[in-house]
Amino acid sequence: MKILYSWLADFIENPPTPEETAAKLCRIGLKVEEMKRTGASFTGVTVGLIEKIDKHPNADKLSLVDVNDGKGVMRVVCGARNIAVGQKIPFARVGAMLAEGELKKAKIRGVESEGMICSADELGLEGYDNTGILVLPENTAVGQNASELFPKGDTLMEVEMLPNQGHCLSHYALARELCLFYGLKLKEARVFDGAASGSVVPVTIEVPDMCPRYTAIVVKGVKGARTPGWMADRLRAVGTNPKGSILVDASNYVMYELGQPTHCFDLDRLGGPAIKVRRAVAGEAFTALDGKAVKLDPGMMVIADAGRPAALAGVMGGQDTAVSDDTEAILIESARFSPPVIRQASKASGIKSESSYRFERATDPELTLKAARRLAGLILEAAPAAKVEQVSDVCPVKYLPPVIDVEPAKVNAILGTGIADGEIYACLKAFQPDLKDSKPWKFTVPSYRQDIEGICDVAEEVARYVGYDVIPSVTQMPMLPSAMTQLWTLSSELKTTLAALGFSEAYNYDFLSAKELKACALAPEAALELKNPLSSDLQYLRPSMLPGLLKTLRYNLNRGRESVMVFETGTVYARAGEGKAEDTVCAGLMYGDFPENGFWKGGQPRADFYHLKGVMTRLFAGKPGFRFEKPKKAPAYFQPGLCLEMKMGGACAGYIGKLDPKAAAANDFKDGNIFCFEIPLGGMAGAWKTEFWQKVPRIKSFSSFPQNWRDLSVVLEERHEWYDLEKSFSGVQDLASARLVDVFKGKNIPEGHRSLTIRFTFSSMEKTLNDAEVGARMTAITDKLAKNFGAKLRA
Amino acid sequence: MNATEWKEKLSAIRDSFSVSIAKKPAENPEALEQRFLGRKGELALLLRDLKDIPLEERKPLGALGNAAKQEMEAKLAELKGSAPAAGPAVKADLDLTMPGWPLPKGTLHPLTHTMNRLAEGFLKLGFTMADGPLVEDDYHNFEALNFPPFHPARDMQDTFYVAAKDQGGKDMLMRTHTSPVQIRALEKAQPPLRVFHTGRVFRSEAVDASHSFAFHQIEGLYVDKNVSMADLKWTAATFMKDLFGSGVKTRFNPSYFPFVEPGAEVDMSCIFCKTGERCPVCKGTGWLEVMGAGMVHPNVLKAGKCDPQKWSGFAFGGGIERFAMLLFGIHDMRMLYENDLRMLKQVNL
Repeated sequence: MKILYSWLADFIENPPTPEETAAKLCRIGLKVEEMKRTGASFTGVTVGLIEKIDKHPNADKLSLVDVNDGKGVMRVVCGARNIAVGQKIPFARVGAMLAEGELKKAKIRGVESEGMICSADELGLEGYDNTGILVLPENTAVGQNASELFPKGDTLMEVEMLPNQGHCLSHYALARELCLFYGLKLKEARVFDGAASGSVVPVTIEVPDMCPRYTAIVVKGVKGARTPGWMADRLRAVGTNPKGSILVDASNYVMYELGQPTHCFDLDRLGGPAIKVRRAVAGEAFTALDGKAVKLDPGMMVIADAGRPAALAGVMGGQDTAVSDDTEAILIESARFSPPVIRQASKASGIKSESSYRFERATDPELTLKAARRLAGLILEAAPAAKVEQVSDVCPVKYLPPVIDVEPAKVNAILGTGIADGEIYACLKAFQPDLKDSKPWKFTVPSYRQDIEGICDVAEEVARYVGYDVIPSVTQMPMLPSAMTQLWTLSSELKTTLAALGFSEAYNYDFLSAKELKACALAPEAALELKNPLSSDLQYLRPSMLPGLLKTLRYNLNRGRESVMVFETGTVYARAGEGKAEDTVCAGLMYGDFPENGFWKGGQPRADFYHLKGVMTRLFAGKPGFRFEKPKKAPAYFQPGLCLEMKMGGACAGYIGKLDPKAAAANDFKDGNIFCFEIPLGGMAGAWKTEFWQKVPRIKSFSSFPQNWRDLSVVLEERHEWYDLEKSFSGVQDLASARLVDVFKGKNIPEGHRSLTIRFTFSSMEKTLNDAEVGARMTAITDKLAKNFGAKLRA
Repeated sequence: MNATEWKEKLSAIRDSFSVSIAKKPAENPEALEQRFLGRKGELALLLRDLKDIPLEERKPLGALGNAAKQEMEAKLAELKGSAPAAGPAVKADLDLTMPGWPLPKGTLHPLTHTMNRLAEGFLKLGFTMADGPLVEDDYHNFEALNFPPFHPARDMQDTFYVAAKDQGGKDMLMRTHTSPVQIRALEKAQPPLRVFHTGRVFRSEAVDASHSFAFHQIEGLYVDKNVSMADLKWTAATFMKDLFGSGVKTRFNPSYFPFVEPGAEVDMSCIFCKTGERCPVCKGTGWLEVMGAGMVHPNVLKAGKCDPQKWSGFAFGGGIERFAMLLFGIHDMRMLYENDLRMLKQVNL
């Protein structure tokens, strides 16, 4: 909210300086985000006339200018390009106070300058063309004090307003806060305090719960009254464009001044004339001041005349009853409305106004009459012949302020402080001057503080009063045990290992486009959708981590990288009936050379399925029941036949495989050798133990005798898979391991066959095996291989 | 002799060497050396036999034989009680300044490092980790946290709505903050309760250098008897010191969040200020806004089935991105979601 310092200062006796004011506001939680000098704060500048321009003898870009300031002709050095003979310009004599300080006598390139022709910037003026000197209108009088041509010097503050600060939304309100918390004396605004007993317009409130109070003042004889310059300047400063008509401008002025929105109806256009506060009728027509046609519904409240709606209550007046330059008589409305009703109406109608903004945040119930009187007073000042004919204040629901029992001990307990009773009392007394000192103090909440409901709110006010720094930083919190969640621990373990294996962690957004889904063979219909996406590129909640990872791959390939190994852990979403389902997934991909950077010793194979399988084997090392299986149903983005499912016991631990060529093509990858994995953490969480005592492995005993090994090369048909061979070795006595050390196809190997070299290691718990014993075991293996797989020893 | 036979013979020699060297009491190492490695030793003879094997098969066998020889030498040296004598001075052709083996190196994301560190900080202070969903219902995200329907506080957090219904038939939403976990934690367990949560949140905001429609928060909650704002101040200060060093100062300013009362904003002293320059990080104020905090609002306690007369609590939290950007010196939030490996690979921690 924009606050003009001089306006604020109107309400404080001996106001602090702008800088002090800003500091004081910040300390009580009203953050001044920006401070700006406005208007003319310079002195010693007069309107001058350029009479003659000569070249500077020593500088091409400078001129020597004769300026007549009404008292004499001065010779000035000037560097601006936009000067011309006959221009009226702001001329500063030596000794003038400008934005940067006092102007001193100066010699520029050997020529003495007797003053300066000023730019807007040098005068400290905002909002003017600043490319050269400031050229004044031709009709300006030479010799006039230039500061009179601009609004007076002032300071504009931008104060951040939080949703609970409905009581701070005006200049008067901030002055009141400053006075209350810093012991300053508050000054009141001038108001019309006359009486008028007329009842030109009857006011009826049909919905007292939505509108507990309605104040109306009728003023006649207002035609042609214009807005005074000082008011227009202030409105402009706080960001409102003055209309020139006092009826519109003064209403805005009162809102920025007191915080109460008001409205002026043209009395002659009010049917009846009468005011009826009621619910809208479905289908009723209403066109707002800004020309917008609003579809009314019974949830909305309207201010109606005898027949039709004249205003959408609290949001905006109607076009039909708006004041114009011909308006003779007006009805001033100043009411209290229920905040949620106004907010709903504002949302439903799509109209946000300064008025609805304030009503949503709760206005002061006791302010309606004062604001109406202030508005009437301002109008009367501008239209001295006008007459007030009616002042009525209809209040079907009297506002009863809450009374809070305040025990100082309770306040100190909340804050953890030892603030003296007297200081707490002083704070409450500043709010409520007639507070009696008998405990518990009966604290009547001021009407403008609709946000104070209980003792916690009172504690906050006390803290603001004494300053938050008074709260000590001490604790006596008892010990409590602490732990991470299983999901966090599991995901951390995976992340740490993957990073150690060369994968970098990515963070992608959760939202995807239909195109991105389809490119990965994912159906948009099955994905959860946002109802109000920022754009169609960000419409679906990701059902898989893959599209994000592919985006990461593409991003890095486009920036010259040749190898990419990345992973990401995040949430994936799906529809579940009418509702939704979420799971956490760890997924990744590898592409390019492995290891990533070439090595001078050579050996830099392209990453393939077995690299990724090795990564997974390492990732799940020692996990009970871990194995690879052929998938029954793999996600569609894996290439069929080049995908394996990972299992832990009965649980699916995810999939690894090659990206389906169709998906690679749809994602614009020329080289489709992209290998991906995904691990659903939710499904696996039961099998992957994270508690230390559960996950520590039990060490198996091993032989104290030397072990023996033998290599065996066999030739067999390619259709036999290693998995089956390996399985067949179970039961061979003393066999500690069977490791595949070489695979060979080609010379001397028949078509459709391959040669496998397997290293068998034997170890007995009882003794050292001799040659014959090892030989016997090898024979058993050879026989098995021959019998089950038709394997022959390689010649 | 063919290759297979040769290999079998090599295995047999290795086996018998293993047996011999393991004998207790130990055999004379010189004698063993003579027997296996000497000029007419078993291994030497076998290696000589290689000449009878076809050339293409000879090379791998030679390597195996040499490996066995080195292994035996090492074991014998051990038996002699002396490590192999230092070799002759490094050969001139071995350039030790050449790069070492390029073991693969991956990194965790700056946000993960930051969250891990923050989580550790919470653990040390006795906070246990709690969890909650990212697609939330209106009740947990707003209403139970004292954002009544049609309250302007709802404007503080622009919300994404999801085409899914909660149990009451209301539209679900992407959680706008981590605070719903406060309610979920209180629903699960009665006080005393000290929990924290960290995770992703969403706001319908355009992306720029300091905004993102998805970002991360961390949040702590403590509910017990006689919890005060002094406890909160101590906890927040300790927490910030854990992250930014023991020299860092914290201060509280009045602020507003619907779910706390009194509410405060937590500032930390700027650790980037250098004397004599206007600090670009804190803009010369000396302070950085880092967290929101306050005493748990009575309405929130009630929503969590706790009697506000009996229990009180504090809550505080902040954005992870802000911490990560301060710590890693990242000036544009978008860098955290681009996944440029030139950035990620620098995160060596």
